[in-house]
Amino acid sequence: MTFKQFAFNNVKRNTRQYLSYFLSCMFAVTVFFMYAVIVFHPDIQNAEFRDVVQRGILLTEAIIYGFSFLFVLFSTGSFIKSRKKQYGLLTTLGISKSQLNRMLILENTIIGITSIVAGLLLGALLTKLFLMIFSQILGLDQILPFYLSLKAIGITSLLFFIMFEVNSLAVVWTLRTNSIMEVFRGAKGPKKTPKFSWILSLLAIGLIGAGYYLAYISTVVTIFLYMLPILILVIPGTYFLFSQFSIAFIALLKRKKRFYLHKLNLLTISDLSHKLKDNARILFIVTILSAVALTSSGVLYGLFQGVEAEAKRFVPQDATLISKGNSKIDKLEKEINFVESSFKEKDIAFQSNLIRTTQAQMQSENENWNLVWAQIYSYSDYKAIANLHGRNVSFEIDDGEMVISKQEFALPDDNKPPKKLTIKSKNESATLHTKVAKLELNQNIYTTFDIVVSDSIFKQFVQSAASNEVYYNYAMEIPKWKTHADDIEQIFANVDREIAYPDSQPEYYLRMKEGLSYLFFFGIFISVLFFLAAGSILYFRMYQDMDKDLHHYHSIYRIGITDKEMKKIATRQLGFLFFIPFIVAVVHASFAFKALQNMIASSVILPSVMSVSVFFVIHLMNFIFIRNVYTAKLKKVM
Amino acid sequence: MSVLVAENLTKIYGSKNGIQHKALHQFQLTVEKGEFLGIMGPSGSGKTTLLNLLSTIDNPTSGKVKINDETITSLSKNKLAKFRRKEMGFIFQDYNLLDTLTIGENILLPLTLQGEKVKVMEKKLVIVTKQLGIDTIINKRTYEVSGGQMQRAAIARAIIHDPTVIFADEPTGNLDSKASLQVMESLGTLQQTHETTTVMVTHDPFAASFCGRVIFIKDGKLFNEIHRGDNRQSFFQDILNVQSLLGGNMDDFQTIRI
Repeated sequence: MTFKQFAFNNVKRNTRQYLSYFLSCMFAVTVFFMYAVIVFHPDIQNAEFRDVVQRGILLTEAIIYGFSFLFVLFSTGSFIKSRKKQYGLLTTLGISKSQLNRMLILENTIIGITSIVAGLLLGALLTKLFLMIFSQILGLDQILPFYLSLKAIGITSLLFFIMFEVNSLAVVWTLRTNSIMEVFRGAKGPKKTPKFSWILSLLAIGLIGAGYYLAYISTVVTIFLYMLPILILVIPGTYFLFSQFSIAFIALLKRKKRFYLHKLNLLTISDLSHKLKDNARILFIVTILSAVALTSSGVLYGLFQGVEAEAKRFVPQDATLISKGNSKIDKLEKEINFVESSFKEKDIAFQSNLIRTTQAQMQSENENWNLVWAQIYSYSDYKAIANLHGRNVSFEIDDGEMVISKQEFALPDDNKPPKKLTIKSKNESATLHTKVAKLELNQNIYTTFDIVVSDSIFKQFVQSAASNEVYYNYAMEIPKWKTHADDIEQIFANVDREIAYPDSQPEYYLRMKEGLSYLFFFGIFISVLFFLAAGSILYFRMYQDMDKDLHHYHSIYRIGITDKEMKKIATRQLGFLFFIPFIVAVVHASFAFKALQNMIASSVILPSVMSVSVFFVIHLMNFIFIRNVYTAKLKKVM
Repeated sequence: MSVLVAENLTKIYGSKNGIQHKALHQFQLTVEKGEFLGIMGPSGSGKTTLLNLLSTIDNPTSGKVKINDETITSLSKNKLAKFRRKEMGFIFQDYNLLDTLTIGENILLPLTLQGEKVKVMEKKLVIVTKQLGIDTIINKRTYEVSGGQMQRAAIARAIIHDPTVIFADEPTGNLDSKASLQVMESLGTLQQTHETTTVMVTHDPFAASFCGRVIFIKDGKLFNEIHRGDNRQSFFQDILNVQSLLGGNMDDFQTIRI
């Protein structure tokens, strides 16, 4: 047996132990490779592609690489450390430190190369599918042809090879080979009773609760203000939840003698409190990773699903053309004719009307409401627009009143105008009582507010208005705009913006959908990667403690415990270690979803439930796999 | 009345085609109710194999073990585990206490696994720990007490559920002579008051002198058997005499201490 064979056999005969690690590395290589294929795809390199996509891919690659780096560093470290006893044995047999290092580096190189090769092979298999999805999501006319660039293969293997080597060097370099005695005694050191502090335990609950409260009350404006405080509250809160509160909770359980001393509970709970304490940091990291994965994929999916509702919210009218000034009236008619005939040509059903509005400046002692431009609608015109879109008008108006549009994206105070406001045009002014209502009108580029006044007041203003104070608002109701979104966008793109300013739901919808599909495409893969990594970290941790656990279960076995009971205890403990972080992550994520719900119009319940369920299934499968490996190992000592 | 009967017990290690080693050959043994039996013999004589077979931790190649007229060698693995924790008590050289539990919890473990009521458990715990003089340490953890205390806790655990048989594997193997004396005295008196049948494997002639009968094994077969009279001191001398007759590995003899 040469030295190389020795290292090779070490890996080969530990296949089981290395399997999960190997699979995770392989998956990282695969994902990285598939994105690399797109980067180096000739059709994409030649195509005039949007910078966003290129930059998105590169950013994704960087995140995957950086994350894989940390992940491999962590898992290599925990594997190498879990074999300390073996090094002790080898040291007594007279292996030198440099030989030991060489052995470890050799072993890691073998695993690294195998996972790179396997990852590339899997990547090659999945590339076609990936290109199809990519083309579909980005709405490319034709599916990108299958193409494996040597550059992609080269760069993937090079980068990952470097990563494995650097990591194993780093781990080997920091490995302390303690005195042989210590190594042999190593895992047998006594376990002290886990300690906790009540104050920190309560603080954990308090911090998380406060974070949740902020998320709960946040609105589209305040969320950016609250984001950082929420993170500052929730992250340490989660840490104390695992390191303090969980131990405190178990201490409470232990006091309930009737529960604690009931059958298997004694073994399960007493051991669990040690496991929780030992693994608090790991569980914390796993929770945060899972929460990030759940939240980002749920939020992305929710936004993606809610694009239509958002379009309706930001652009309440299906399509509008707004033209300012009397002088352009002839040209406006031409544009309207063009739009209507184009619609007829494409066979898109629509209804429309054209109204006249005017403008005025608000005057008030309240600075927020002083010198702000507003567009003035008459009550009957507003009613006509509402009828066109099939809506009812909920308010009445008399000559002394005006209705001001409610600003959705403003601080609550901004929606409280002074009781009385003066509106002033060039030749006319009026002071009216104010009312606030949600006016479902498209925004325009000329004025900040929309105001509805009674017909007679409106008449005063419009009759005395200067030529450039008059607006013409052309509104369209298009029942099936979603199916014709592309055509409609095309038609409006041809409208002369000098004459009429167009705004339409299809346009907004397409733009949002496009932007989100990029985000979605990059975000989901990273989320899945995070999530798988979280599962693997738990697995490595479990493997590190395997020797201790084997000893423990052997002790119980001799006293008399059945296979079934052993499985029950192990399943419960692993179940707690696996699903407590998951549940905490789900609760974290659901408050994030609530914050998202406060921001967007459509319901996020379905998308969030969907994404949580998908992750749950992945997690459950991971759990079952790891549990089976674990109990199979335990069975050997029974 | 015989509680434990072994018939033609044979254990062969090694694969069918490879080198085989007969650890135990056609072994016969009968243990009466309330008896305190010692098993002695040099290293590799098969005494630990015998104990493992009797206590169902290992399966014999052929032969039978009966406890209370029930043939336990034909029971399934699951039933064995349940049988073990109900009808047997164990004392090991390494104490085999779980370091995640307190001393008291360790002692209660057999009762807990059987689903006993908390009140009954606590009552029994008080009685047995008082008898063994460890009632002050039941809330301590394993790393806070001495080896002798741990072994007495193990004895308490072995006896708390009133088992049919107690098996002890080198109970004094890890202890100094003072702790050995305490442990063996506790085991001896407890065995007498509870009248629990006890089977103990040991190297230590001093520990063996607490038994009522000692059998000697050599090369997987019964070599000799001696009974204790009234005097423990002379019994100890008898044991030493048989040991020197037995020969075997000199390393096994412990330094004589009184």
